[in-house]
Amino acid sequence: MTILTHNQWSAISTRFYKLWVVTIADRHGWQLAVFITGALLVGALAMWMLMSVPTRFRKPIVMAVTFLGGLILALEFLISTDTWHPLTDFLPAYGNVQMVIGSFALLLGLVNLFMIHAEAVNKRTRGWINSFAFFVAFFAIMIAGFVKDYAAAKAVSGSADSIYTVFFEGFLMPLSSTMFSMIAFYIASAAYRAFRIRSTESALMMITASIIMLGLVPAGQYLTSGLPGWLYWLRLENVSYWLLTSPNMAVQRAMAFGIAVGALATGLRIWLSLERGSFFDRQL
Amino acid sequence: MGDITPYANSAVYVVEGLLVFFILFKIISARRGRELFIRRIPGLSSLDEAVGRATEMGKPMLFVPGIGGLTVVGLQAMAILQHVVQRAAKFLTRVIVPNIDPIMFTISEEISKEAYTSEGVPEQFDPEDIRFLSSDQFALAAGVVGIMHRERTATVLYFGEFFAESLILAENGQAVGAIQIAGTPSITQVPFFLATCDYTIIGDEYFAVSAYLSRQPTLLGSLVGQDYGKLLMMGVIVVGAILVTLQATLPHLYGLAWLNEHFLKFFPRPPGQ
Repeated sequence: MTILTHNQWSAISTRFYKLWVVTIADRHGWQLAVFITGALLVGALAMWMLMSVPTRFRKPIVMAVTFLGGLILALEFLISTDTWHPLTDFLPAYGNVQMVIGSFALLLGLVNLFMIHAEAVNKRTRGWINSFAFFVAFFAIMIAGFVKDYAAAKAVSGSADSIYTVFFEGFLMPLSSTMFSMIAFYIASAAYRAFRIRSTESALMMITASIIMLGLVPAGQYLTSGLPGWLYWLRLENVSYWLLTSPNMAVQRAMAFGIAVGALATGLRIWLSLERGSFFDRQL
Repeated sequence: MGDITPYANSAVYVVEGLLVFFILFKIISARRGRELFIRRIPGLSSLDEAVGRATEMGKPMLFVPGIGGLTVVGLQAMAILQHVVQRAAKFLTRVIVPNIDPIMFTISEEISKEAYTSEGVPEQFDPEDIRFLSSDQFALAAGVVGIMHRERTATVLYFGEFFAESLILAENGQAVGAIQIAGTPSITQVPFFLATCDYTIIGDEYFAVSAYLSRQPTLLGSLVGQDYGKLLMMGVIVVGAILVTLQATLPHLYGLAWLNEHFLKFFPRPPGQ
């Protein structure tokens, strides 16, 4: 049996990559329309073929696709070196495939949104006006976005851009910032609840949190600034730094190790189709 | 000292290979009927209590699958959702699932439908309980908070990846008086959940949830395999710490420099450390 050399592998992968680059190159006009139509037809054909096969074969097909999908990523990491990485160039395209599948699902998400809010408006349930506002906002920003893109394509600037900016920077961003800023108030109420000393653990947490907070503000640092040189390590800023970088970091790293191993085990089960549960092992 | 590259090195081959071996070996032995022990996790034992409370109050439950999308963490959240909906379906209790990711939305819809069907009450499944709210983090937070207040949810479960929205959600859950259970591998959000939820499942416990709830041999075996993997990593850390400490205290010990050099070559440090 002949094993391919690095150079032969590189030549094969480069050839595939060039073919791939030609296939996924940017298209415009009628070429774009043909590609979109072709992609939809191929997708529909693949779905039809999957639904046409006998039910007992569907699960093995899904398992095989899952395995191959995972295998590409695993091999990309495991067999590559700094000088030889034949699969790395395909990763952006791999990400694009994921994005396309996600886009199909986005449509389903939108249908769900429309159904829920349309029913609320239709039945005039409590707060139906908010559902109505959803439709207004949705279509307003969608139309503004299309108009902006059209104006950009035709190299026309002016009101199209400003309308979009008003919607995006004038409405969406301040609303998001408002939600984010509310965290400050929630932190205060959560901290009050957490710092009530009810047990040894909460007392320990209260003391540790107080040291760290004081160690991070100038007023707190001032409290222990008078300590003599040989007690320098007891200054609040040093104790606070030690708490953050030693006990706290050790726990965080221990958790990170556990999480990484747990994620590896779950990923392995999904990759090898060993996962169990109604969703994972039911007849498709 | 060896170099860190974006690709696998010899340490990865050995450690990851052993981890995969432990996990698969334990899965196989569990499937062959070997009894495996799993310790009690209070947060998960109280899941029935949480479902029961919602049933008694006649209010719905809320299951928030995080904002991480379709990742290993997200899929684990879906496995947990399946158990939760099955238990809720037994008592004809509604479970509302708000989603940020359209793919997760379709998966959670399928899972819920399947769970109601498996409990013999497919007619109880309401497609409107599985909602795609928004793909924006804070818009989702606002939407979930709105659902909590409108529906007066009796139980709120947070399982998945969370970021800055965690405290907004959990504090509002407190405000409506819901019993709250959170499970997340997002280390930075754990303190917020600890401060606001009744039970919090932290770190790798998150990946033990489906095994704990279902007691299926495959999942239990995988869990025990993970523990062996963690033991391996602890061993490597202890050996490394001993070698470095000896190097600092007894630098002239015979063979120590050679051992240290080879250990660091095999487990290269990240740049800057």
